[in-house]
This record gives sequence, structure tokens and C-alpha cells, in this order.
Amino acid sequence: MPAADPADAVFSALSDGTRRDLFALLGRRGEASATDLARELPVTRQAVQKHLGTLAGAGLVATRRSGREVLYHPTPGPMSEALAWMAEVGGEWDDRLAALDRQLERRRAGA
Amino acid sequence: MDKAVERELIVPETPEEVWRSLAEPGWLGDDAQIELCPAGAVRAGEHSGFVEEADEPRRLVFWWSARDEEASRVELDLEETDEGTRVRVTESRPLEILSVRGRDLAVELDLAGGSGPVASAGAGGGGQLVMIG
Repeated sequence: MPAADPADAVFSALSDGTRRDLFALLGRRGEASATDLARELPVTRQAVQKHLGTLAGAGLVATRRSGREVLYHPTPGPMSEALAWMAEVGGEWDDRLAALDRQLERRRAGA
Repeated sequence: MDKAVERELIVPETPEEVWRSLAEPGWLGDDAQIELCPAGAVRAGEHSGFVEEADEPRRLVFWWSARDEEASRVELDLEETDEGTRVRVTESRPLEILSVRGRDLAVELDLAGGSGPVASAGAGGGGQLVMIG
């Protein structure tokens, strides 16, 4: 395995709750500056900037210069799609297994 | 990266009791149905598919897909434990791995100047094609 596994970078970048919120927020906004994003999160602009740097390092966001502003946008690629799929399917199985448990429980109570 | 999701549930019932419960509608979705035999139909909400393997009461494997999405493979393993049964679910997309690896392979072949698939198969990432089987 190469040392810099892109999957490791993605998981590590998204292991932080603030960065996950930031990534999700950017996904909803499409494109935004660090200042815009900091306004909607309980962290400073400097902290947002730093987190965006980490997300960019993992290939999850990219930048575009617009006048004096730097605008960030998410870069959907195989990695972020895979993570989204895992989150969605994992949530579905949590629900189904909970339902199976309830189904067995009802039978237990009835027996 | 191999795309797979794994979840577990431990219940006090025996694997036989859990297996019977799998066939009942409800847990997989309101209008869901699943025939616990090879090639049996699987239907749950927007998902539909078929059973690949039904080894009562230990292992159920089926394929399904929702709408026009890529098919995924679901493995349900029922393991008897001291407390009852451990239900382990794994959902994966082996076909996607195949297509991604296939692309890698094509790139390698291209770089190798068409020297043949066998020679290039393991060059980039350690013979990943083996993992599919």
C-alpha cells in the first residue's frame, strides 16, 4: 500500500465533527468563502480556513479565485461518493436491524 | 477503496428463530417480501432483487438494487453465541470494485503499451482482481 492512501486522507479529514459539518454546509451552499462559512458555524474564520485546507488536502474541496475572494466548492469524486453511500446504507441497516429486533421482541412478549 | 457497510445485532433467539423471522414482512420494509431460497425474489420498497444463497439457518446472501442504482450484495450471517444469535449484515458493491479495478487495469495496460493483461494485472496495486472471487 502506498503511504499516502487517498482513502486514509478522506477518512482522517472527515474524522473531525467540525470538518464534517463544514463539508456538509459547503455541499448545501455549492460555493462559499471562508468568511461566509464561518458566519454559519461556531468557529472562527481562521479555524474554518485551516479545516478547509485539510479538506482540500484530502481532495474533498477545491478553490476558485473571484476578485479578492477565494471561493471553496466540494469536489465530488469516487471517494466522497463512496463515503456518502456508506453513510446512507449504514443508516438504512441501523433502521432495519432495529426493526428486526422489535419484531423478535413482539414475538418474545407474545410467547 | 472497497465499499462495504457492516452492522451487527445480537438477539436472545436461536438462529432458527431469527431465520424464520427474516421471512416475515416488516423488518425489511412495510410491504417487503423475501423468499428464503436460491433465486427467490426480494422486494422491499424501492429495492428489488434475488437470493443468491440460502443456507438455513446460518447464511443468506441476496442482491438488490433501488431504481436505476447499481446492484449491491447483502450478506446476512447468523452466528450462534452464548447469548443467542449474532446477526451480521454486510452490504457491498462488488461490481463497482470490478469496474473501478478494470479501469485501473486498462490504464496499466495502456502504460505498458499493450503488453498483455496477465503481465500487467498485478503491477499497480498488488493483483487486486483476486479479491473479487
